[in-house]
Amino acid sequence: MIHVSDLTKRYAGRTAVDAISFDVGRGEIVGFLGPNGAGKSTTLRILTCFLSATEGSATVAGFDIFKKSIEVRRRVGYMPENVPLYTDMRVSEYLRFRAQIKGLGWRESRRAVDEAMDICALSEVQRKLIGTLSKGYRQRVGLADALVNKPDLLILDEPTNGLDPNQIRQVRDLIRQLGERHTILISTHILHEVEMTCGRVIIIDRGVIKASDTPQNLVRRLRAAGTVNLEVQGEPDAVLAELEKLPGITSATHHDTRQGWAAIEIRTDANIDVREEIFELAVKKQWHLRELSRRQASLEDAFVDLTNRAAAPPSES
Amino acid sequence: MRAFFILLRKELRSFFLSPLAFVLLALFVFLNGWLFSTLVEAMRSAVSSRSLIYNLFDSGWFWMGYFILFPLITMRLFAEEKKLGTLEGLFTAPVRTAEVVLAKYFATVILYVVLLLPVFGFFALFERVTGTGAAFHPGAFWGSALILLLIGLFNIAIGTFASAVTSNQLIAAMITFVGVMLHYFLGFLHQFLTTPGSIWTSTLTYFSSTEHMHTFSDGLIDTRPIVYYLSLSALLLAFTQHILDYRKWRA
Repeated sequence: MIHVSDLTKRYAGRTAVDAISFDVGRGEIVGFLGPNGAGKSTTLRILTCFLSATEGSATVAGFDIFKKSIEVRRRVGYMPENVPLYTDMRVSEYLRFRAQIKGLGWRESRRAVDEAMDICALSEVQRKLIGTLSKGYRQRVGLADALVNKPDLLILDEPTNGLDPNQIRQVRDLIRQLGERHTILISTHILHEVEMTCGRVIIIDRGVIKASDTPQNLVRRLRAAGTVNLEVQGEPDAVLAELEKLPGITSATHHDTRQGWAAIEIRTDANIDVREEIFELAVKKQWHLRELSRRQASLEDAFVDLTNRAAAPPSES
Repeated sequence: MRAFFILLRKELRSFFLSPLAFVLLALFVFLNGWLFSTLVEAMRSAVSSRSLIYNLFDSGWFWMGYFILFPLITMRLFAEEKKLGTLEGLFTAPVRTAEVVLAKYFATVILYVVLLLPVFGFFALFERVTGTGAAFHPGAFWGSALILLLIGLFNIAIGTFASAVTSNQLIAAMITFVGVMLHYFLGFLHQFLTTPGSIWTSTLTYFSSTEHMHTFSDGLIDTRPIVYYLSLSALLLAFTQHILDYRKWRA
């Protein structure tokens, strides 16, 4: 559906997108993930023909985005970041306008707008001025706009930005529903959203693609260390000394002792589970044990690991 | 072409569903109505060799109100969309930049014509009310209508261009006003700079809107101003289109 090769966008003195290549297949829901200013919006704007690339090429639905831009735009439903809308129009009026400008006929557009308002639960506000709507409703108007002409591909730039948790859930469910009929590319920096909705994640940082895989694989491949927490009754130093002898443990630290229980955090090598060994050790040493838990690495860890930019200079989006 | 008419409709709707068009209409009708009645009064007490139409459009008062019109009707065209960010939605829809430019331009031209209609209504009404059949000849009526349309086309093109340059409506308005006024004063330059009869004088009078108005409101249809205003308007609109497309390539 999308084929991008060596796409580069340079602004004066700054490379926003640096020779990225990726593919999105028909029917996929792909999360486009990255810190602020990583080049997500720039990439999406190039794919929707709002900006041009400095170098490289891309096709959407088989059409070159530079040479066949009108054909591409006919097949893409785009929801820009912050959802700009004409505030002086009514919801149904606006959607009607958008449907017609995207090439739907008089009658067709009426049906399409009704359907889109149905999907996005907008029917009750259809007579309201967009300027008077809350952020959540505006977001849904933007979404209805994107899907009103039933495009093959939906490109959503931070669709849940600025919504409250309930609204985020609604939009997420909506996106998952839409995934049954459309190919979707979502940009976001909310990791939870991606884990819940996307079949694949592309992580981009400072204009470079750092990873492209399923969320599960990303986590599995993650080199970041796992963490085991345990609480035992005993002399902390002695316990630590014993623990550090176990294989696969990189460090063990004692946090605090509460009523004789020592809370210890153990960092292990990648994807090694040491809980069984610790349990056997505790039995052998006759320690009392009241917590033994392993925190699995999450997509968040993968994200932080891949995009850690502590040393990077700040850049604007 | 389809997109053009959809966009045109939308632009017209936003003009006439907002107070803007009506406030301007009221203002313009009031200004020119007052000017008109003063002129009629003046022509009653003194003999004039010129027609009522010539005198009205020759008056500085008319031009003053007239030039304030253009910044007001064009400043929001693109600047507002740039500010709101809706330009992104517009240009990611399957429409050509030229269609957008022309739709906005012609919507403004239609608004302009609507704003001017009452002035010509005065003349039509005058004959009816007073019963004086020959207050002016039809050539003066249609000639001045034509040249006002042409000057309007040009000035609206300036405004459209200015609005595409910036996302600040005030700046767009000021560029338009300065542009419109500069062109207007260019037509007076020959009175100060050159000796009558020199090549400069005749060259500079080509640009003079007031000179054009004089010829046309005498009922003389000169093709040179027609070509002049139409081609300048087309040029400015082409610039506008390129300015808008330039955002894609800006580094």
